[in-house]
Amino acid sequence: MSATELSGPLEVEKFPEKLAARVVTPGPAPRVHGYDVESDLAQHYGVGDSVLLSLTGELPAAPARAAFEVAWLFLGAVSVAHAGAHASVLARLCGATVSATVGVAAIGLAEEARALLVEHEELLHSLRASAPLPERYQSFAPEEREAVARLRLALQRTGLSVPTLQQSPTRDAALLSVLFECGLRRTRQLEAVVTLARLPCALAEGFAERPTNFGNYPINLPPFVYEESP
Amino acid sequence: MKDLALPTATAHWGWDDHRYFGQRVFEELAGRESLTSLTVLSVLGRRLSAEQCALLDDLAVCLTLADPRIWPLKLTRVIAAHGGMTAAAAAGLLIEQDARIGPWCAAKAAEVLVELHLKLVGTGFDAEAVGAVVREYLDEHAFVWGFGTPFRKRDERLVAFRSCLERRGRRRLPFMRTFDAIASVVTRERHAEPNIAMAMAATFLDLGLHVHEVGPLSTVLTQHMFFAHAIEGARQAPEVLQRLPDRCIEYSGRDARETPRARQVGAENTSGRAAE
Repeated sequence: MSATELSGPLEVEKFPEKLAARVVTPGPAPRVHGYDVESDLAQHYGVGDSVLLSLTGELPAAPARAAFEVAWLFLGAVSVAHAGAHASVLARLCGATVSATVGVAAIGLAEEARALLVEHEELLHSLRASAPLPERYQSFAPEEREAVARLRLALQRTGLSVPTLQQSPTRDAALLSVLFECGLRRTRQLEAVVTLARLPCALAEGFAERPTNFGNYPINLPPFVYEESP
Repeated sequence: MKDLALPTATAHWGWDDHRYFGQRVFEELAGRESLTSLTVLSVLGRRLSAEQCALLDDLAVCLTLADPRIWPLKLTRVIAAHGGMTAAAAAGLLIEQDARIGPWCAAKAAEVLVELHLKLVGTGFDAEAVGAVVREYLDEHAFVWGFGTPFRKRDERLVAFRSCLERRGRRRLPFMRTFDAIASVVTRERHAEPNIAMAMAATFLDLGLHVHEVGPLSTVLTQHMFFAHAIEGARQAPEVLQRLPDRCIEYSGRDARETPRARQVGAENTSGRAAE
């Protein structure tokens, strides 16, 4: 039976004929949220501006852009201990294509970012309400306090005010609070930035591995113990 | 490293034979298991009978609504457009967990069904009791998983699967009975017909599955459609899906505007020229 003889709900229902573009204009001279990329943004702005513009729809003020770049650097350095980077190494070890390695790392990092944001749901509520930092996101552990002190120091030159930093936040809560003050107020924006910031390091770990280098991979880290159900 | 140990009930690599969920692969599984029964073992960690597996075969067939225009399958075709079959299949499957359409709806429907079933057990399922329980649920929920048949009056997959259930004598089991009882009330109150997700939920629960097992088993029963589109899509690698022609896109975002820095440079240039 040829297609012209077949009929079903999708032949009867009316749908739009064009795909909606809401961020980037199609065609040879792209604009992002209205700004010409090649003759304007690329002449006057940087990558941090571009990420914030894409995700929020507006160019950031100078303090927000500078603080965003600090937070991006703090977030980005994920070691191979993290699932996304570890998975990237495993993909490369298996001889996966570059595209598959990128896909695997992105999925792993996005899952990690999703879990991070789930864990910090209450933090976002408190930030939106300008409420005090909930106790569960405070830390008095020396390592965390030192990391937050370094973050405060790096942010000094930016001029962005992040009230949470004065309330002994954990490192993660501090970084999410900085991003929030940079204009990334929605969970999906924060998940996206955490994932994007970590992708270069996670991929680099994968690319540094040699395909089929199986003998040098710690196969029993961690050890799996097979247990049969009773 | 012992403190880092992770238990697994799934598998172990042995010398002459391997273990898989408590079974010796060559000795006990090879030559005995069908793809469906092996899949069931993989998802549930336990076996179902041959007759129960045959019911899952029926369900997988009845679920086969695989038009490439359907959104998750279209996504699979779009990703396949550059020739990567496994990337396309993975992308299609990736979106399923907790999505608003697709096999995970059966998991959500199972939660609804169990909640209502527990309230109805002991009522004798008389019309008044069912009506009261369902209406109470509807008062608290704007959307009922397992109901709604977009673009048509009824879900033809459900009609076909009900016939399969009838043939196998599985229409009067406890959760299927609850499904039938609540369906008429939901349909009357919300003008929404039941869909295949609710039938999947009832069938799985009647097979003894836990609610948390419904989503994974539903997903594997639909994976053939993703592979079909990943394979055909990657083979075609059509230019039109790699990049749609510009004439097919309608821009509805912000109007063209100039950045503050470009405006500033423009103003400085203007005042510079004026000074000259």
